[in-house]
Amino acid sequence: MNMMTPPPTAPGLQPTTRLTVLQGQARVSAGPRVEFSTVLGSCVATCLFDPEEQVGGMNHFLLAEPPAGGQTVDEHYGVYLMELLINEMLANGAAKHRLRANLYGGANLYPGMAQIGSANASFAKTFLLRERITLVREDLGGNSARRVDFRPASGLVRCRTVANTLAPEERPVARPVAAVGEVELF
Amino acid sequence: MTKTTRVLTVDDSASMRALLNHALTTHGFDVAQADDGQSALEWLQLNEVDVVITDINMPRLDGFGLIEALRNGTRHRDRPILVLTTESSDEKKNRARQMGATGWIVKPFDATKLVAAVRRVSH
Repeated sequence: MNMMTPPPTAPGLQPTTRLTVLQGQARVSAGPRVEFSTVLGSCVATCLFDPEEQVGGMNHFLLAEPPAGGQTVDEHYGVYLMELLINEMLANGAAKHRLRANLYGGANLYPGMAQIGSANASFAKTFLLRERITLVREDLGGNSARRVDFRPASGLVRCRTVANTLAPEERPVARPVAAVGEVELF
Repeated sequence: MTKTTRVLTVDDSASMRALLNHALTTHGFDVAQADDGQSALEWLQLNEVDVVITDINMPRLDGFGLIEALRNGTRHRDRPILVLTTESSDEKKNRARQMGATGWIVKPFDATKLVAAVRRVSH
């Protein structure tokens, strides 16, 4: 388990603004007092950081199995969710070639969900490899829930195991049926 | 003999390019790929294509820049251009329309709808 302790807050400075990243969300910030937090069971969180621009972002997802085919997760939806995070990073000044990634989660808390946690972790690693985004740290798999605290402006991450009962109820997310792939010809 | 429809997909995401390539080639399209608008323009200087599918957010030259360059040029000015994007804002959709895009497709794409749109604009 990786442990990185954020710098202590100096007296007189504004307190940290802690923002929870829920399943299905992606948040990006360059705020020096902002900390993103999430608790993961089978879900996976991607933390992206651009060291030059000092901006970071986190997402939190658990992909459903695709309706058919040889894939283990809904790759279409996964690529979309990762692209949302990357686009938000780029909109905040980051450059894709400078992005550094950390991956957390993908635990196998329950026997019935064992494969999907691992499959989601595998998807995230494959995605980063394909996009040539450097994976600097990963803490994936196992059978314990994790709490991840991420300072987006400094890239510092603290990941620790927590009681599995603290992990939120997680349901694999499938693409919404409506308004997906909608085509409008002008 | 029916001519195979040639599609150029423009997206900086290798994962998205792989999904598009799979969706289009399995439906009989001839697919070429570029990783940003600048690469697409360079490829289009030397090659012919029936339909262009482009992302919006890309380095070097984005989708808007690509549409503008193609519509202001001569060789590909009438080529159908479908925008495939995560963008959901009406402002950006209207901008694409005003710049001359042929259609707007929201990610994550549905392969059946995408293929139908490509067939429709290429005939």
